[in-house]
Amino acid sequence: MNRDTLRQLMPIVTLVVLVVLVAAFQPSFVNPATLLGMASDTATLFVLGMGVTFVIMLGGIDLSIQSVASLASVAVALLITPLGYLAFPVAVLVGALAGLLSGIAHVQLKIPSFIATLAVGGVAAGVALLLADAQAITLGEVERGYVGWITGTSLGIPHEVLIALVVLALGTVVQHYTAFGRYSQAIGAGEPAAHAAGIRVGLHKTIACMLSGAAAGLAGAILAGRLASGSPTLADQLLLPAIAAVIVGGTAITGGVGSVWRTLVGALIITVVRSGMTFLNVDIFIQQSVFGAMLVIAVALTIDRSKIPIVK
Amino acid sequence: MAEAATIGDGRAAGWKKLRRRLAPWAPLLVLLALCIAIALVNGRFVSLRNFARIADAASIPLVLGLGVTFVILMGSIDLSMEGVVAFAAIILCLLVANGANANDFGLLGALAVLVIGAAMGFANGIVHVGLQIPSFMVTLGMWFVGIGIGNAILGGIQVRVNDPLIRALALEQFLGLKFQVWLALGALAVAWVVQEHTRLGRYIFAIGGGEDLARLSGIRTGLVRIATFTMAGVFYALAGIMAAAQQGSAFALIGGGRLFTAITAVVVGGTALWGGQGGVLNTLIGVLIVVVLANGMVLMGVSPYVQQIVQGLLIIAAVALSVDRMRAKLVK
Repeated sequence: MNRDTLRQLMPIVTLVVLVVLVAAFQPSFVNPATLLGMASDTATLFVLGMGVTFVIMLGGIDLSIQSVASLASVAVALLITPLGYLAFPVAVLVGALAGLLSGIAHVQLKIPSFIATLAVGGVAAGVALLLADAQAITLGEVERGYVGWITGTSLGIPHEVLIALVVLALGTVVQHYTAFGRYSQAIGAGEPAAHAAGIRVGLHKTIACMLSGAAAGLAGAILAGRLASGSPTLADQLLLPAIAAVIVGGTAITGGVGSVWRTLVGALIITVVRSGMTFLNVDIFIQQSVFGAMLVIAVALTIDRSKIPIVK
Repeated sequence: MAEAATIGDGRAAGWKKLRRRLAPWAPLLVLLALCIAIALVNGRFVSLRNFARIADAASIPLVLGLGVTFVILMGSIDLSMEGVVAFAAIILCLLVANGANANDFGLLGALAVLVIGAAMGFANGIVHVGLQIPSFMVTLGMWFVGIGIGNAILGGIQVRVNDPLIRALALEQFLGLKFQVWLALGALAVAWVVQEHTRLGRYIFAIGGGEDLARLSGIRTGLVRIATFTMAGVFYALAGIMAAAQQGSAFALIGGGRLFTAITAVVVGGTALWGGQGGVLNTLIGVLIVVVLANGMVLMGVSPYVQQIVQGLLIIAAVALSVDRMRAKLVK
């Protein structure tokens, strides 16, 4: 078994082992209600991670997603009264715009993606604070009527799970059946070669940034519906778990290797670890530290060192 | 035709030369222009009290900026400072006289906090070098590890600092400036000496200029990297102490937003993200630009939230201007 197959299988094996472990300690973990609850907890994380997967596959990173998601939640909270259902597409659009801004800064101005997205994240957070006047905006009785498509259930399945499945389907189509999906893998695998082959590297990087922004926007909208409020700090704890989901799933930060499905597995691992720790009464703050450590370990395992002669 | 091209080339070359000569001075010129512009709009900007206020506001960002400057000079990045600041501030509050337990270690407590900062920086360095993981990923992890552990120790409460010595940093003055300003200036002096007069300082520049060359000329680059991250950790811990003194307490989010300001300051000051260019004096200028801008906006009645937007745009502008497009063929 070569290293690459091992890398592909490891996340799934990890997930199964974790589920078995947690179930052994806590049999109630495997009843359908708990599992469905877990699936809906995973939804937001997965949507965030799905977007950033494309950026990481290209060899970049997006540190703006938590601020963009918060901004989108504020946009939903403010726009749902005048616009109704239209507020949700607008939130996604706001996210895509923020992504476009990152893309332009990264591609046109040649700024490394982590600093470009850090800066755009700051701008997005500033705009959100300004719009919401640094307050959480609670949705009223009437506005809550519009979030049923997020919080409701159909056939016993929470809508969040259905939304995540639709996003998964879209992500799969984009990755496997569009020129962008193929090219982004090629660029991640070897940018100079991709460039030489005539692929418009800059264009695809910008599209990836916009996808990531749009996904963050959708995640923000889901959160706003779920918590019935919008706030400039709503998604503040989600950056690390989202990136950890992508990396733990087996997408390498060196680019070229990765997929939307791996991110799904990664997001599930994060959720199982979180639920497991909650069952075991691990302090909620320590959980952040555990995710930080998991991220570093996963990077160490998935990174392709032949691609970076000098590690900076 | 050929002649026209030559003239065009000559002009471009002249422009390039002028640009190269002016570039090191650009941050200082920006700072001066900014001060003059703000003073013209609002006369209250020019007063001893306001200058003291600016120095006060600049002291913590300066100490953080100094630490990360060395890391950026190597061409790496350190995103962990908010975690180290939070952890350091929390540990400090629990070690000196405080509102939660009976400890009263005074200066010894502060010293212990600096050692803890060094240990966290060392952990960054050893994971980064030992496992060959890019620094931004390692330090992203440490950011959340620091905040998480600090929070877990604190259990979500807020601890008051009662130690008079620590409180004096933010309350007592000497020659019209608060103690913490003098402490920050002391840190600047130390950083400057490290940069200019030690082997470590020179090695850091060598690595930033070209790591393969540095390695070939016999520099133990891994060791230098670990030392630099460790040193940065000490600076962050010092900033954590100052933050605890200023707030009079420690809490989970005491480091919030500081990373962004510090990185803006370093980059705006003219230290290149690719490494090898810039230094601690650039960071001083950069911090002053950011703080003066914020001060001016407050004087003009601009919402504080706009400041964050402006800072974000500043980062983009400063990095975009400093990009050496010949060298940066592959930007990730």
